[in-house]
Amino acid sequence: MKQGPMILTRREFGKVLAAAPLAAGAAQQQRPLYAINGVGLGLETFSFHDLPPAADPRLIPTIISNMREIGIGECEIMSGHIEPWPTIATGWWVQSRRAPGFQKLREDARKWRLSAPMSYYTNIRKQFEDAGLRIYLYNVNFNETFTDEERDKTFEAAKALGAAGFSSSTVISEARRLVPFVERHKMFVAMHNHNNLVDPDQFATPESFETALAMSPYFKATLDIGHFVAGNNDPVAFIRKHHDRTINIHVRDRKRNNGPNRPFGQGDTPIAEVLRLIRDEKYPIRCYLEYEYGSFRSSVDEVKRCLDYCRRVLA
Amino acid sequence: MPGLLPPRAGVALVAVFAVAALADAQAPQGKADAGGFPAPTPELERGRAVYVLSSCHFCHGVDLTGAQMGATDLMHSPLIAADQNGNFIGPVVRAGKPNLQTAMPSYPDLTAQEIADLAAYVHYLRRQGRYRELTMDAEEQGDLRTGETYFKANCAACHSKSGDLAGVAAKYPGATLRARTLRPSDDPAPAGTDRTAVGRQQHGKLLERYAAADVRNVISFLRER
Repeated sequence: MKQGPMILTRREFGKVLAAAPLAAGAAQQQRPLYAINGVGLGLETFSFHDLPPAADPRLIPTIISNMREIGIGECEIMSGHIEPWPTIATGWWVQSRRAPGFQKLREDARKWRLSAPMSYYTNIRKQFEDAGLRIYLYNVNFNETFTDEERDKTFEAAKALGAAGFSSSTVISEARRLVPFVERHKMFVAMHNHNNLVDPDQFATPESFETALAMSPYFKATLDIGHFVAGNNDPVAFIRKHHDRTINIHVRDRKRNNGPNRPFGQGDTPIAEVLRLIRDEKYPIRCYLEYEYGSFRSSVDEVKRCLDYCRRVLA
Repeated sequence: MPGLLPPRAGVALVAVFAVAALADAQAPQGKADAGGFPAPTPELERGRAVYVLSSCHFCHGVDLTGAQMGATDLMHSPLIAADQNGNFIGPVVRAGKPNLQTAMPSYPDLTAQEIADLAAYVHYLRRQGRYRELTMDAEEQGDLRTGETYFKANCAACHSKSGDLAGVAAKYPGATLRARTLRPSDDPAPAGTDRTAVGRQQHGKLLERYAAADVRNVISFLRER
């Protein structure tokens, strides 16, 4: 084969240019992204709104395939994507506990949890690892419908998944119950906030986080910066103050005053300022994309757009 | 079986309902996207855009089924049943529900037209869904006296069992009678008259409000010889 400088015709050069994104895409598929300029990146699997239902055998492969297509390597996975039950069955939403049939559903979910072999979870972990992906956080919304036995089993499940700890949309009263469990299992639970400012048991304000953080060193924060802003709080100030206890942030853009979710850059959430703060201060805080604004496009397409936004602000 | 309003009363006020009702019989067409199937009319498609781009579908479902995160089941919500042209939907959407566990966001920037479009689309989805639910209900015997009472209250202003509906029970088999009771496909009035519009509007409203027992009872009453 002839060696030497390759001279391309204009038509050949055009073909190379056209193929470049495909080649870049293929490379991205081979090596998922874990960080941009030192800022850890991941996603919350809640971002995938068009998944097969719980218990469908296509569910985990679809999540893995979506992450591979987007090119992100790390995730926080919802219990409703791991367990063969929708999250509604495990009692998080107080309103749903009043629904007809809830008690039986909850009892069935409990029985499943207590009897599921650890191989069920390690098999899921293996599927992720075989694809070059990692489950870093197990998102379980601990609540008063859990029994102690169930709480223990859930910690064992998180370990089997390979998760470093939990993210949890829980409440302060449940955090008190969790103290002996985090101490015994030596595993953290990172509290995730929404923006309900009416119920003092909810995580929504800096004070609500601080109440839990004071209970145990194993309690951390998963700060959802969009919800935090919707509750008229300042995520930059929170991160500056609590960067050593903040495991990850959920990156979304909402308007203030309980305003709606918006495409990244169109709401009131200072996403760029937060990401650059984490980059510049070298805070070891992971930034997990969470797509929840309205769109006619697929979840994968929108998460790619969210990722592109983060790339631009961290460039 | 319209009867809740006098024949001409609601035309101007709730014309948008009539658009929804006219579209009820149409099956989804076009290619589905993340917000479901395209709506059958431009007016409803505008409403779908508001519904999807405001991310209502994530919690309330693309077709009002499978509500998540503690969201209200709009398919069976009494507030939606009572709504006319967004008069109940609008204030809730604009203010949000900040006291819910996972607060429903507020949408203060939606215009009056966007609220009207959104309401029309929600009613359209609800009528489609309620029709599916009620046509699949078990063919059980209802209580004909309760059915008669319901008929007098809700249907008798426009229909008579011995008049326009005479022999209807013998003419149609069970499933067809049920389907036509829920959503008449061949209104006897000439198209385009006020009576047609109000009739469709009223049938649409009833479709949103029927309990399964109402339909069983009315059909039992119609079958009574």
